[in-house]
Amino acid sequence: MIESFAVHTLNGLWYGVILFMIASGLTIIFGVLGILNLAHGELYALGAFVVFSVVGYATGFVASPDDPVSAVIFGVVVLVAALIAATILLPVGAFIEAVFVRPIYDRDEVYQLLLTYALLLIFIDVMKFGWGTSPLDAGTYRGLNQIPTTEIVGFGYPSYNIIAMVVGVAVFAWLVWFFDRSKTGRIIRATAINRDMATAIGVSTDRTFTLVFAMGAFFAGFGGAMVSIGPQTAFLEMGLDPLVLSFVVIVVGGLGSLKGAFVGALLVGVISRWAIWLWPAVELAAPFAVMLLILLLKPEGLFGTWGEIE
Amino acid sequence: MSRFSPLEERDGKTVVRVPFTRGLTLTSGQTALALVGLVVLFGLPFLAGLVGLSWGRLFRGLLFGMAAVGLNLLLRHTELVSFGHAAFFGGGAYAVAVMAAHLEVSEGILLLLSAVIVGTLLAAVIGYFVAGYVDIYFALLTLAFNAVIFATVFRSAFFNYNDGLAVRVGGDNPTLFGLAWTDLGYDLVLYYTTIVLMIVMLVLMWRLINSPFGRALDAIGQDRTRARFIGIPVERYVWYSFTISGLYGAFAGGVYALQRLHVQPEPTLYVFVSGEILFMAILGGFTTLVGPLIGGVLLVYLLEATRFSFYYYHAPIGIILLAIVLFMPKGIMGSLPDFFAGLRRRVADPGRLGDDVRSIRSMVRQSLTRATTTVRILVFGVK
Repeated sequence: MIESFAVHTLNGLWYGVILFMIASGLTIIFGVLGILNLAHGELYALGAFVVFSVVGYATGFVASPDDPVSAVIFGVVVLVAALIAATILLPVGAFIEAVFVRPIYDRDEVYQLLLTYALLLIFIDVMKFGWGTSPLDAGTYRGLNQIPTTEIVGFGYPSYNIIAMVVGVAVFAWLVWFFDRSKTGRIIRATAINRDMATAIGVSTDRTFTLVFAMGAFFAGFGGAMVSIGPQTAFLEMGLDPLVLSFVVIVVGGLGSLKGAFVGALLVGVISRWAIWLWPAVELAAPFAVMLLILLLKPEGLFGTWGEIE
Repeated sequence: MSRFSPLEERDGKTVVRVPFTRGLTLTSGQTALALVGLVVLFGLPFLAGLVGLSWGRLFRGLLFGMAAVGLNLLLRHTELVSFGHAAFFGGGAYAVAVMAAHLEVSEGILLLLSAVIVGTLLAAVIGYFVAGYVDIYFALLTLAFNAVIFATVFRSAFFNYNDGLAVRVGGDNPTLFGLAWTDLGYDLVLYYTTIVLMIVMLVLMWRLINSPFGRALDAIGQDRTRARFIGIPVERYVWYSFTISGLYGAFAGGVYALQRLHVQPEPTLYVFVSGEILFMAILGGFTTLVGPLIGGVLLVYLLEATRFSFYYYHAPIGIILLAIVLFMPKGIMGSLPDFFAGLRRRVADPGRLGDDVRSIRSMVRQSLTRATTTVRILVFGVK
């Protein structure tokens, strides 16, 4: 009982951290650009596909088929591969912003939603072109089917999941520092609050927007990379469920608030994993029930500031 | 002109007053277009085969278009973007399937009625929760509700998971008006019943959006605060219009189930379907009444035709959508007046064609400049 409680809570925290990475990308893009990027889930999927290709090459160097890799080497490979995958997504995000999103900043929301929806459709085919329609799974890569475990309160837990959690918390800390303390972060926040004023004091809004979109894509890809190496597989529509769930996360936490996104993500992650354990039938509905409850009690979300990054 | 004549003088032109629509008048061009539309609509089962199109696909297109007409009540007037209207389409379809599969109701008209009731109730419940929200919150919430309904159906044995339910009692097609029909007869009777109901519903929609209630919705769309100050009960009216728009979707979904005779979650309830319904309204022109219908027919045809013929069937739709958003935001029906006006001017003065060539050339030059600027920004940053 205690043991399964611990396992499901840990799984929930792990999933929450992954959700946070997607939700953080959505939050900063929405907070600064005012665009709700429906294609975000596909950037997440793209991260997953890229990381499999990268890991597939990397494990060829560090492990032989009969000899499972050690936990440390495995962790390093995973992290480096995830970083490479996410870095590949930086220019992808910049390209999307500069070419497609830029013409529609002043248009109605419905056009913004439709444009990102169009990008989502195009992305699915791009990935189909690159990796085919059949799902990739970790077992097809050498060494990855024997994931090392760590002893926690008397049972083995995949060390990879622990690495992911630590990394996720580090990402959160870095983001908070970035928007609170760093010069670039402050410029971005200033641009979010008043575009014209930022332009007047010499900030290049074009560059800021491109940077923010690229950052969003980076974290989406990082999340996708982290989630796919674990027990999961990568498939074309994998971005949709986390995308919808990260909307829940954002609404629960308060649109535009990073801290809200973090707390909301952990909450949604843990609740959905507890639901799998205690009452599997409501697993998919549970996060939405939480969202409804919070909206009814506190419509602006837990840490809400309508549409400004904080 | 006598009082009972449908013809009327307005701005020196003779226009046709359409009965039962309170103030809808058509110019001669529009009348011709409307008559062509009616002829095509009623002749579709026979015309489609002649030009090599699939009648079933066109029929389904009309149904999805009908759902888009319902969605458009929100989109055009209250300016709310709903990303969850597949819930009502699928809700109607599943109401039919459940009534037929579990309760063994075999009368098609009863099934359709239950679809409308269930879908409308669903819309009323969801509308109650979302009516207070605006902008992105509204879109996200409707999307979330849609997702949770899809997940529930997808995961439940009652709805037979992903395989869906058949709309046949004892292996037979449903009866229509108490009579059993042959397969072709069933399709034809269902089609003509639907067409007649659809035209009635379109006329009702016209009446609705030109009533004080419709004007109030317009006011809500323009400025909620002001609408509240002049005494419009904003949340309640949004709730009503949400419910009505759900009714249209539920009707369409119910007929869809009767036409396909099998209901699965993915083509009816998925969040993608919501996106498609929204796209239909924009593609056909959401500033017009029948635009969404046209958009529905076109998109469903495109989707179904590409899905079975091409390996890459998402991207073409995405590219068309992208082009519509960037270059033709008024959609097909919305751009028609501009198109005809332009055509008339060019017939009157063929010299304008030279201007056209020049403007196309400058458009190409501008987009090239923008592309190079973009590349420069990507490579070197700005300034």
